[in-house]
Amino acid sequence: MVRLLDLGLTKVSSIIFDMASLAENTVSKAITSYKDDDTSTKNQIFESSAKLRFLQDEVSELCIELIARFQPVATDLRYIKSCMELSYVFSRFGRYAFDIITVLEILGPLELCDKSSVMRMSKLVLEMMDLGISALRLRDNSILAKIYEMEEMVDVLYRKSTRESSQIVIANNYSDNRCNISTALILKYLERISDHACYIADSVNYIETGMASPRR
Amino acid sequence: MGNLDNSLRSSIKDEIDAISEYTKIKAETDTPTKNGILPSFKAETERNLDSELKIENPKLSIQSLKAWFSGKLALKGINLDVKENCVTALIGPSGCGKTTLLRCINRMHDLTPNATADGKIILDDLNIYDKQSDPVLIKRRMGMVFQKPNPFPTMSIYDNVAAGLKLNGIKDKNLIKDIVHDSLKGAALWEEVKNDLDKPGISLSGGQQQRLCIARALAMQPEILLMDEPTSALDPIASSKIEELMNDLKKNLTVIIVTHNMQQAARVSDYTAFMYLGELIEFGPTDQIFKYPKKELTERYISGKFG
Amino acid sequence: MIKENKTKDYKSLIQERVAKNSRKRKIFNNFMTVLLFVFVVIAIIPLASILFEVFKNGVGALSFEFLFSPPGAFGSGDGGIGPAIQGTLIAVGLASLIGAPVGVLAGVYLSEYSSSSKHFAYFLRLFNDVLTGIPSIVIGITGYISLVLTLGSFSILAGAFVLSIIMIPIVARVSEETLKLVPNTLREAAYGLGLPKWKVVWHIVIKGSKSGILTGIVLAVSRVAGETAPLIMTILGTSLFFSGFNSPVDALPLRIWRLASQPYPAAHEQGWGAALVLILLILALSVALRMFAQKRSTYKSTT
Repeated sequence: MVRLLDLGLTKVSSIIFDMASLAENTVSKAITSYKDDDTSTKNQIFESSAKLRFLQDEVSELCIELIARFQPVATDLRYIKSCMELSYVFSRFGRYAFDIITVLEILGPLELCDKSSVMRMSKLVLEMMDLGISALRLRDNSILAKIYEMEEMVDVLYRKSTRESSQIVIANNYSDNRCNISTALILKYLERISDHACYIADSVNYIETGMASPRR
Repeated sequence: MGNLDNSLRSSIKDEIDAISEYTKIKAETDTPTKNGILPSFKAETERNLDSELKIENPKLSIQSLKAWFSGKLALKGINLDVKENCVTALIGPSGCGKTTLLRCINRMHDLTPNATADGKIILDDLNIYDKQSDPVLIKRRMGMVFQKPNPFPTMSIYDNVAAGLKLNGIKDKNLIKDIVHDSLKGAALWEEVKNDLDKPGISLSGGQQQRLCIARALAMQPEILLMDEPTSALDPIASSKIEELMNDLKKNLTVIIVTHNMQQAARVSDYTAFMYLGELIEFGPTDQIFKYPKKELTERYISGKFG
Repeated sequence: MIKENKTKDYKSLIQERVAKNSRKRKIFNNFMTVLLFVFVVIAIIPLASILFEVFKNGVGALSFEFLFSPPGAFGSGDGGIGPAIQGTLIAVGLASLIGAPVGVLAGVYLSEYSSSSKHFAYFLRLFNDVLTGIPSIVIGITGYISLVLTLGSFSILAGAFVLSIIMIPIVARVSEETLKLVPNTLREAAYGLGLPKWKVVWHIVIKGSKSGILTGIVLAVSRVAGETAPLIMTILGTSLFFSGFNSPVDALPLRIWRLASQPYPAAHEQGWGAALVLILLILALSVALRMFAQKRSTYKSTT
């Protein structure tokens, strides 16, 4: 028997997963544009980010409506709460993607910069996002440990890369203040994205067990 | 690490703001990063998933209670502790035994023909089901309110409230008067009837009649108030008045309520017990049951997937 | 598509049939109403004609002397039915004193206390119903044998006893029905207050069924006030006023019978008068008790 609430929950789920794939695509598009020095994608990314922002509001409204009308409890209630928080997370992804492409646009062509640290980190981060979203889709608790591990790795990588980039200035290899600044900024955005990807893991854990985040 | 983070962030942010024309875009302040700031854990995270809920010095302790109707087993061995000065709700689908359990607590179950019960119910230090305990005395220590308001039709409002006292042999008129006034105040009915105490009990509206029945029960100064779906026959406003009343009453008494309405149980109770087919499936603090029930059956029932 | 047609067909079919029948139904309805009214009138006619006859023939005999003096010489028109009135009042009064409490208590037992012994209750009710149906002459003979012969004389005690036996099953029956009408929730509320069973039964159940129980008593009293056969065998009838619990006494039904069996028209007139008095007495009793019961109005009146 389908409950009235289930219809609402299905709608919320579909919007959240749409947001998830849109966010993932937008972030990886931004990274690829950075790698290829391609600023033409800026408008697309801006629109995606705006769409995510809009969808976040929609999810929020819908969740409030479900709570008011159906007084959900237990798993349904935790799921709705998590969806409200996740919609924020995905809209942040869009915003960070936009920030990354903006850095590229502002600081100009960066083909000669050493992009290896950013690409290493972005690989990790994109994988974290992917794992988080599939954990959400499958409501699978088991991959969460991996995500937290990767977050630790991202942290370590972040510190290392930041220290390295300051040392490059000193050693004076091909460097340009623009490279350092852009690398620093984008590393920071990537670090934030990885942090938010952990929120996805936290939410999955919360939905399944009702426990708040055990980390940090 | 935290310091580097913050200082880097603020300087870069300023620079970007200065050159970017996109400052018009609402700069969303990030939620404070959890780096270095410990989240404040609520008390729920301290709960130990493995241990059973233990209530210290329960007011009422039900141990291995079984009950039969004409030989058919209705309660299959219930173990439940009720905490003092709290509202405990019994929820479950029809026929799960919650009303039977309630009626066993004050030994009303014995009055049903062909009904038997076995087990222990310990009220403070006394076993209610001991062979030597007098059921009539037990009933005087507890008050009961029924689903349909049932004021005595031949008596006035005053007499209704005083019924328990007068018929139990109390003769001091002033004492009775004081207790009646007190009970009516305690049942939030005083203001509405103080000038009409001689009117017949049945001349009141449904919600008022139910509060009259509560006053009548309160007049006996019970330690435990048992309520069997007290608001199911009432309109929403009368129901909410009675729910507010329960919140006041629990300061001085222990309340046990049986309800079909889960939202009511969620609103009103401190502890909730879920029963199914004569067994106690889960018992715990209300917010835990409704946010993270431990048993799948509980989850399915409260989410409305059956029942 | 087919389903749609089907439902449409049902709908129109039903509407057709219902419309067709509606005129027939209305006519039949009205016809039945008239028929029932006619039957009611037919049923009332005997009662109305009896009352009319009694009144017409008896009102002439009424006078102060008639009501208070003993009968005169056989066949004359003198004297009155004083002793008969007195006898009826005493006999019925005594009978009620015995019959009403026993009947009510029997009703209480059957309603409140018999749930644990269903077989006994079944037999009790059965005997009760049988007793209601026993011809009063049989009860009279029983009274004669058990009381008159053993005590050695016709007496008002025997009469009262026999009348009470007739009263008991009626009172018990009505009381039981009335007491059962008290909703169980009231009993539970009383138990919940910590009252023992007898208090619950007395204060809540019995006090709550006062009008019903009174109705039962009135019914029984009206019945026994007019019983003749048992009285023949137990009080015999006499022309004297009450003179002790061990002597015969007169009663209205007996007096009516005696007067009617005499060949003198004067006696017949007195007989009609006595009948009128009897009917008025019973009427007065019923009305008085009803008014008394109405004053203390309960939540429901059963009759």
